[in-house]
Amino acid sequence: MYIFVQNNYWYMQTKILLDEEQIPKRWYNVQADLPSPLDPPLHPATHKPVGPDDLKAIFPMELIRQEVTTDRYIDIPEEVRDVLRLWRPSPLYRAHRLEKFLKTPAKIYYKWEGVSPAGSHKTNTSVPQAYYNMKAGIERIATETGAGQWGSALAFATMLYDLECTIYMVRSSYTQKPYRKSMMQVWGGECIPSPSTKTKSGQAVLEKDPETPGALGIAISEAVEDAATHANTNYALGSVLNHVCLHQTIIGQECREQLASVEEYPDVVIGCVGGGSNFAGIAFPFAGDKMTGKHKDVDIIGVEPASCPTLTKGAYTYDFGDVAGLTPLMKMFTLGHDFVPPSIHAGGLRYHGDSPIVSRLVHDGVMRAVAYHQSEVFDAAQTFSRTEGIIVAPETSHAVKCAIDEALKCKKTGEEKTIMFNCSGHGNFDMSAYDAYYAGKLVDYEYPDELINEAIGRIPKIQ
Amino acid sequence: MKRIGLIINPVAGMGGSVGLKGTDGNVEEAERRGAVPHAGERAGQTLDLLKQQKEICFLACAGAMGEAALAASGLKNYRVVYTPGNETSPADTRAAAQVFREQGIDLIMFCGGDGTARDIFSVVGPDIPILGIPAGVKMYSGVFAVNPAAAAELVAGLNKAALRDSEVMDVDEEAYRAGTLDTRLYGIARTPVIRGMVAVSKQVYEQPDEERIKLEIAQFMQEVMLPGALYIIGAGTTTETIVRYLGLKKTLLGVDVVKNHRLVARDADEKALLRLTEKERDIRIIVSPIGAQGFILGRGNQQISPVVIRRAGTGHVIVVATPHKLQEIPELLVDSGDPSLDREFGESIQVICGYRLAQRKPIRQQEPGGSS
Repeated sequence: MYIFVQNNYWYMQTKILLDEEQIPKRWYNVQADLPSPLDPPLHPATHKPVGPDDLKAIFPMELIRQEVTTDRYIDIPEEVRDVLRLWRPSPLYRAHRLEKFLKTPAKIYYKWEGVSPAGSHKTNTSVPQAYYNMKAGIERIATETGAGQWGSALAFATMLYDLECTIYMVRSSYTQKPYRKSMMQVWGGECIPSPSTKTKSGQAVLEKDPETPGALGIAISEAVEDAATHANTNYALGSVLNHVCLHQTIIGQECREQLASVEEYPDVVIGCVGGGSNFAGIAFPFAGDKMTGKHKDVDIIGVEPASCPTLTKGAYTYDFGDVAGLTPLMKMFTLGHDFVPPSIHAGGLRYHGDSPIVSRLVHDGVMRAVAYHQSEVFDAAQTFSRTEGIIVAPETSHAVKCAIDEALKCKKTGEEKTIMFNCSGHGNFDMSAYDAYYAGKLVDYEYPDELINEAIGRIPKIQ
Repeated sequence: MKRIGLIINPVAGMGGSVGLKGTDGNVEEAERRGAVPHAGERAGQTLDLLKQQKEICFLACAGAMGEAALAASGLKNYRVVYTPGNETSPADTRAAAQVFREQGIDLIMFCGGDGTARDIFSVVGPDIPILGIPAGVKMYSGVFAVNPAAAAELVAGLNKAALRDSEVMDVDEEAYRAGTLDTRLYGIARTPVIRGMVAVSKQVYEQPDEERIKLEIAQFMQEVMLPGALYIIGAGTTTETIVRYLGLKKTLLGVDVVKNHRLVARDADEKALLRLTEKERDIRIIVSPIGAQGFILGRGNQQISPVVIRRAGTGHVIVVATPHKLQEIPELLVDSGDPSLDREFGESIQVICGYRLAQRKPIRQQEPGGSS
């Protein structure tokens, strides 16, 4: 903690900043420090491990390599670092005002990823993904987006490398969050409400139900079909996969530097979990420290919605990544690929599965998970906005809630823990969610795990 | 053109202002105590807001039962089809409902309380939608709009409105005569509800689709119902759907008992439930919130007594309800008759509201000494 004096006032340092040259030069690959290798993804039809050839139709070779490599570090291309300079290194804040409000002896730090052009951590991976596709001679990328965070991040990145971008956006979000679509347009992306007439899978759904509001599972099918049926087009995913988590580790590496500059190391590291990438981003470098024995006691917590409690209530088993069962089977925590989570406002956390690496680390006890209801999470977001100023995304609010709870535990025990969380994105396009909160219209959905587990055990059973 | 039948119970609510538990049969006493009729005025607030509506015509009763309020609001498009006696009575309400039924109408809008709702329902059942402008002493039924303006909004938007189930509740006269004031479920009416974007389970539906959701709930319940366990299933259309999904026929307003997908008892009373549960090890109770206040126990399901609940255990009470219903009730109420048992339910409970989907709802115990 640094205090300095100016004009007879004492100031406490609020932002911890790094120089541009301190943007990490390498991504950290936590697979290198796992005690045993990850279970391989399996082919959906043969149940044999998936090889690089199976993925070549939709991903560039370098990303496939990054998906499976066990090298501890992977160099970040200078062309990519050059783009990252636009917003990185991102600031690490000391939440003095929040601490004071909570009257906690704990120190709370948050890494602010909302400074990126698209407003969240997603650009950390959209940029390298676009770059490697450009290098591989790809001219267009197709993707899906639910709430629009990933779609706008990818539109931004493809623009930088002169690629075309087609984004299938779940129709209900397309109409409810028009400004995300506008952002994509500014960056030259083509945003299509899904289901669309452009793909066979979209046509099939529309034929059955022309008024359908769409779903993420359908949008994924459309984007994958688009990529698989056009030679110049690849597919990109904004979370879950190993290479996506890898690109996000830039967050945690910066955090470690920033904390070291004020002679700190976190006791608690927190991130919200949907597919797992922003959590992976802040957590993996510290999970590596934990597994290699450098800091055995760091407590790493993933926070998920009670309505979609994949890590806290799901089964650790092989399951499909999508609703239709077209993707490879991945070993992960899952609520079952046919479980479609309810429409909570934190749309980015609505995923039945989780990153296989995050799942593995939670399963092994390196990290743990907690779940919260929607309204308590918005209470926390309000507290945060009224102390620190930032209006966070509903997804991010989950991490805020957990950080506040951990700080309040310290208040009880008197411990002066150092708590750090990933403040993954702003909520400037989520004002309708805040409106619903203030109108008392938030529904606290939850997963009836007791009834389910009692009757049929933790689903699913595949293999 | 939508045809709306209007029934105003001119004396509704009078008893309440002077400490009576209802007005029916108490009008003179209420007047003696100084109560003034206000139902006409309440109805007027709704009618004033409907003046601009060209696509609505009213069928009305003469005098204080409708015509007076319509005329006072300056509405022209109405026709008097029933003339009550000098002193209006529940018989007039029923007779008017009968005339409306014969003439063919889209909705009966009434201004009154539970007694009025029950009288109308006894004639039209679920065939004609009912909407109440709240004006009574007792309003436990789910047929009421939250206030006169909300009633106007529903009538104005009737073309686009959907229908929902609404319980018709009223004081249980037998119990009342025996000295306790308690409510009973008399039927399940249909009430308009504004179509809005309602977030339901998987997706956002543009309109309430009650039947689809009830089937989703039923499908899930069937999936989790355990062999060998005894299921006591309370009243209501959501619970009815669960039993129907099993291929069985449910008593809509009563309590049925199911074991191994077979009906063990129909319309069971407390005695039958006590007998059936005596030697069972695994007992589960499935109930749905009843009425406007959202009672899960203590109203409409009184057969499920504290002893029965204790035999099952509060952890084995499974509450089911559609999201639309839950949207209208901020909290659930428990009034089993045994306050210490009520407290065992804690501060909140999980309510199954879709396939593998639940909501957490706060629970409020009936205030000590508070009556229904």
